[in-house]
Amino acid sequence: MKLVIDESRCKGCNLCVLVCPYSIFREGTQLNSRGIVTPVLDRPERCTNCRLQALYGRMLCGVCHMICPDQAISWVEEKPFEPHKVEVEF
Amino acid sequence: MIAPDWFREDRLPHIYCTGCGNGTIINCTLAAVEEMGWKREETVFVSGIGCSSRAPGYILTDSLHTTHGRALAFATGVKMARPDLHVVVFTGDGDLAAIGGNHFIHACRRNVDMTVVCMNNHIYGMTGGQGSPTTPPGAISSTTPYGATEPAFDLAELAVAAGANYVARWTSYHVKELTKAILTGMQTPGLAFIEARTQCPTNYGRHNKLRSVSAMIEHLRSHAILIQKHDRLVAEGKPVPEGSFTVGEFVRRNRPAMGVQR
Ligand SMILES: Cc1ncc(C[n+]2csc(CCOP(=O)(O)OP(=O)(O)O)c2C)c(N)n1
Ligand code: SF4
Ligand code: SF4
Ligand code: SF4
Ligand SMILES: [Mg+2]
Repeated sequence: MKLVIDESRCKGCNLCVLVCPYSIFREGTQLNSRGIVTPVLDRPERCTNCRLQALYGRMLCGVCHMICPDQAISWVEEKPFEPHKVEVEF
Repeated sequence: MIAPDWFREDRLPHIYCTGCGNGTIINCTLAAVEEMGWKREETVFVSGIGCSSRAPGYILTDSLHTTHGRALAFATGVKMARPDLHVVVFTGDGDLAAIGGNHFIHACRRNVDMTVVCMNNHIYGMTGGQGSPTTPPGAISSTTPYGATEPAFDLAELAVAAGANYVARWTSYHVKELTKAILTGMQTPGLAFIEARTQCPTNYGRHNKLRSVSAMIEHLRSHAILIQKHDRLVAEGKPVPEGSFTVGEFVRRNRPAMGVQR
């Protein structure tokens, strides 16, 4: 699973930055084509839901997409044979 | 996004300001609706007027966007005519407690079987930030430029006193707890009232030294105190932190209810 921010919906409130226990969302610095500074993702492969959703068959953590007032956060399936990044934290 | 089957994606992004908590509360409500397993054609969303009351417009079911303050009156009508439908009301502090105050207490007294989610941002957000019955004393609004001097309503306590079968309060920060409370409310026959304190960065935060969205959310998080903790402090004679408000489940009971399908 891959974490994505929908640039056409995000309004740059940074609530996701505030709630993610892994600090995956970082405040952005660049305006996008809609004139909004959207957050950037720091090694999203660390996200619990990215790693374990398929194994558990349900949403894990997910507080970022619950709190996102603009319905801009979701997870998408990787394409077949798309390289996966793996991050192991000790 | 949460509950993609329930959102009118063609209407998104919605009109709410950056960081407005209303969107979060819609997420939590729809997550609870999904968990209930309700069908879209058996669910009706009803609202009055206000930013909060625009919520049903973003949901893919039949809905009633009614006149200011009258959401509960319309919802009562829907439920009494068609008790087979699931009725969910979105309302604001102004809509529910100011112009709609009487409908609020009488819907609770009648204990009509529906779920009422109030997005309490302590202000009339839509019309430019006038003070509402929940504006805390001291707060600056466009009608209280020197600080509000009137005491505020505690909406949850009001619903308990008026007779609702289920009453809870959380905030737009407590997304998991809020979702769970809405779900429990939906499962409880009779009127379920869930107050969700939320941030209006545009018309409240800006005038009350809470300029950023994160400052507003942090304020909600740090001033919320569990009912049990509050009661313990009171029992021990210790001071309750100033400016705090209680969160949690206020009541779950089984008074006679109206509109419950047999
Ligand atoms: C009968 C009537 N009176 C006044 C208004 C103006 N009006 C529109 S929204 C609103 C206040 C809404 O406040 P609230 O319910 O707290 O919603 P919010 O925008 O804060 O979410 C008022 C007074 C109206 N639309 N209709
Ligand atoms: S689901 Fe949890 S861990 Fe994953 S990005 Fe969101 S907040 Fe962070
Ligand atoms: S919470 Fe949603 S709208 Fe806000 S910055 Fe994050 S992705 Fe964007
Ligand atoms: S005015 Fe306040 S309540 Fe209305 S959309 Fe903006 S932030 Fe939300
Ligand atoms: Mg309001």
